[in-house]
Amino acid sequence: MSLINDLIYFDNPSIWHDFGGTSGGFAGITWQMMIWSIIVGLLVFVWLIYNIIMFKHKDGDPEPKDALKAGVFPHERGNVTIELTWTIAPLILVTWLTYISLAPLDYLWDVPEEDETDLVIEVTAAQWFWTFNYEDDYVKPSNFNACPSNIGCLEIPHGMIIRFNINAQDVLHAFYIVEIGIKQDAVPGLETLAWVDTNDVKPGKYSIYCTEYCGKTHSGMLADLYITEAE
Amino acid sequence: MKAKSLKILSIGFLISILVAASAFPSGETSPNGIEPGPQEQNVVANGCNCHNLGDGDSNNPNSNVILNLTLPSNFTAGETYTLTLNLSGGPNNDSMNENQGGFFIKVSTGELNVINDNVRKPEGTTYLTHNEAGNNFREWNFSWTAPNSDSVVAKFDVWGNSVNGDANGADGNSGDYWNAQTFSLAGKNAVIVAESHELSTPKKIMYAFSIIAITLSVIVIGNRMVVKEQSFEEVLKDYWKSIYPWLTTTDHKYIGTLYICTGFGFFFIGGILGLLIRWQLFEPRLDGEFLTYEEYNSTFTIHGTTMIFMAAMPIIFGFANYLIPLQIGARDLAFPRLNALSYWLLPTGGLVVYMGYFTGGAGDVGWTGYTPYSSGETATTPGTDFWVAGQIMLGASSTLTAINFMTTMLRMRAPGVTLMRMPLFAWSIFVTVFLLLLSIPVFTIALILLMADRTFGTLYFNGSCVGDLMGTTACSDPILWQHLFWYFGHPEVYIVILPAFGVLSEIISTFSRRPIFGYTSMVYAMATIGIISFVVYGHHMFTTGADPLFRFIVMLTTMLVAIPTGIKIFNWLATMTGGSVVMKTPMVFALGTVITFTIGGITGIILASIPLDIAFHDTYFVVAHFHYVLVGGTIFAFLGGVYYWYPKMTGKMMNEKLGLLHFTLSFIFFNAAFYPMHNVGISGMPRRYATYDASLTELNQFISISAFIFGFAQLLFVYNVIASYKNGEEAGDNPWDGWSLEWATSSPPPHNSFKEIPTLRLAEEEVK
Repeated sequence: MSLINDLIYFDNPSIWHDFGGTSGGFAGITWQMMIWSIIVGLLVFVWLIYNIIMFKHKDGDPEPKDALKAGVFPHERGNVTIELTWTIAPLILVTWLTYISLAPLDYLWDVPEEDETDLVIEVTAAQWFWTFNYEDDYVKPSNFNACPSNIGCLEIPHGMIIRFNINAQDVLHAFYIVEIGIKQDAVPGLETLAWVDTNDVKPGKYSIYCTEYCGKTHSGMLADLYITEAE
Repeated sequence: MKAKSLKILSIGFLISILVAASAFPSGETSPNGIEPGPQEQNVVANGCNCHNLGDGDSNNPNSNVILNLTLPSNFTAGETYTLTLNLSGGPNNDSMNENQGGFFIKVSTGELNVINDNVRKPEGTTYLTHNEAGNNFREWNFSWTAPNSDSVVAKFDVWGNSVNGDANGADGNSGDYWNAQTFSLAGKNAVIVAESHELSTPKKIMYAFSIIAITLSVIVIGNRMVVKEQSFEEVLKDYWKSIYPWLTTTDHKYIGTLYICTGFGFFFIGGILGLLIRWQLFEPRLDGEFLTYEEYNSTFTIHGTTMIFMAAMPIIFGFANYLIPLQIGARDLAFPRLNALSYWLLPTGGLVVYMGYFTGGAGDVGWTGYTPYSSGETATTPGTDFWVAGQIMLGASSTLTAINFMTTMLRMRAPGVTLMRMPLFAWSIFVTVFLLLLSIPVFTIALILLMADRTFGTLYFNGSCVGDLMGTTACSDPILWQHLFWYFGHPEVYIVILPAFGVLSEIISTFSRRPIFGYTSMVYAMATIGIISFVVYGHHMFTTGADPLFRFIVMLTTMLVAIPTGIKIFNWLATMTGGSVVMKTPMVFALGTVITFTIGGITGIILASIPLDIAFHDTYFVVAHFHYVLVGGTIFAFLGGVYYWYPKMTGKMMNEKLGLLHFTLSFIFFNAAFYPMHNVGISGMPRRYATYDASLTELNQFISISAFIFGFAQLLFVYNVIASYKNGEEAGDNPWDGWSLEWATSSPPPHNSFKEIPTLRLAEEEVK
């Protein structure tokens, strides 16, 4: 049963809920994409199946009047009105989809300046581990003890605006937190940014993945993220 | 006496607590020991995951650090020994013996145990490492209980970390170095033999195939010798006689056949690699349980490279070679010898790419070969160099082909075949070769620069900076490769899908027994796709941190591709409406392609939207998307193409029942294998991962099983092609009632393709 469940439900909070990181305003666009995909898909499938059932060749059918003949360029068929319809309708649809894609971007790309954030974290990616450093003058709350070291483990407070300054030491990596919807490449020599408002994220344990292929232990380049209520 | 030792112990305990309390835990000597991070193999890969951010060569061991493990001369079964590990060399300081070092040890057999407070054994593990008290020492004691058999050799893998203890200050853990070493301890009765070299899995498969091939050829040749009573030389001479024309041919039909066979040959090799990937992902596996991580990485790299450059493109150019001269009424391509050169660069380039397997691991950079990984030292050497060199050859092959076809189609059309009266397959190839000529040289040049980076130490792609005497610094851009690659790479995916559109147009029109709906708009749609394809490539780079305006523009243009693609799909459906649809194998494959390609197109639109792409980029959702368009689009269409044009090429019909069975199995298990990848991707499984979160095991097993059935179903196709060649029904010149000029010549076509150059007539004139 759970296999069937897995096949039916798309289980990822970051695209279904309006919360956290780069995922602000997601639910709307996800639903619209889903609905339009189903409409377009059904249109094609139903029309195709209708054609197969209604116009199937049966033995003894008369030769069609514009049947093809070897070495003869066939009559041109077409209908300008119909063809214009299925040019303009998709144009309107994709313009609409582009337009609604912009709303979450305003949130996503509006990374707060360092003085507007509560906490800045320097994220350093290297083959094949993550290192996290808090900004210099940050005093860790006393109950932050989930991480044995700052390598492969990060503990951040709940209820704050947090900015990640992401760097790479050797090759490309990518900083990916599934449930929060952050995905940002780490590029050597270029500081990239991501941010999250942890007011919108439940406290708990999350996983950080590397999603840009970086060599041998790419699939082992994981880290733990703890979001904890500071005391 | 007991009380006394207890007293000493408790004092020691107290002291160690005091020492531990004074040493602030801030990751300096990793107070909890060398914890292998999330997974043990991390530590094995890195040697150590702490302190390697120092100013030394962080990822490599340092030979100044000397490890010494004191061992007895041999061991007796079941006995317990006390071992001493000692660390010397590396940085030193005098900060009150605090934070001096750390270690990690594991053993192949027997059991390691803690005997004092400096060492700990994390619960559920078998290795030992220092604890917070232990990081103030450079010597540790622990016990090892020998296994029950003393005829084996125990191997101790040790990592040691020499620390300068200034971590609490501003310097952090800079200046710390580590080293790794392996010690062996033989049992009393062990017979020491030379270390056996275990073959890697791909090598085993390679050898297995070679052995099978050699055995088969011995059987075939031996059989001939016995049955025909010929000597070995005579048999070989006979074979040579039949092979010779294939090696020296410049005839487009022969070269086309060679291309198609080579393409499908590589398709099966690439398919086997794909199944290896699926077997690795059958359950979350550790490094080396089936494939090692390095082998897995080269497997997906060579799988991708093979499928795009050595399977899809050769199959396309095979059909183009065979059919374009026939469809436009020419005797051959404009430059037949150049055509032969293009072909022979393909198996050569392919062999060079695969050469990596014989030199200790094929290229492991992914088919995209992103720098600076591919230009750096951590990529497989020389496998990656072979990958680059082979790709340059394949690029040269495609460039020459593009020039050849462009000339042929512009200059050598038969009377009556104007540009706007070419069959749609010919039109799709015409657009494709323009895309090829404009895009693939860019990739070839990028590869040459990459080769220079790898071989001559230039710095085009690795992101490092060079200063000159004037004090200015110049830095290379690690993103540059992505711009060059995707400038080629995106038109490339249209290069492989446009000819499939051409095939679909031909098949759907022929089997609906009527002209295609909207011929002119089909041509313009293809040309529009071709033009737009050059301005969309940035959608592969939404997460790189590129300019937001750039990203917005490519989102818009990417969405626009949906319009001409939609026109094509609707025109096909409109062609069928009101027609007389004959459901033969080529047609069911074409209609199956319409369904799978539509799904792939829809997920393409979803990925074009930047916010959703950020959620799905580099996850299995993308893998599902491009398999839906490449397998469900290109490969399905060209399988249909084989069923459609096989009678023309061989004069024999293919078996219809086997064909329908092949389609049914392929279609069902293709969808079963690739549809769930959408779900896996949305759940957050990144692509190119050799292992994954255990919660996704069930779905991955379902995918793997379906993929295996899909793979084995293709054997039906091979059987059908071979069996029909021998026993198929006679086809006749025009078995499907097609219109284009290839159906006007005999099957198979005569030596010069046409007895006399035909003239394409017009239906309007025919009626009169």
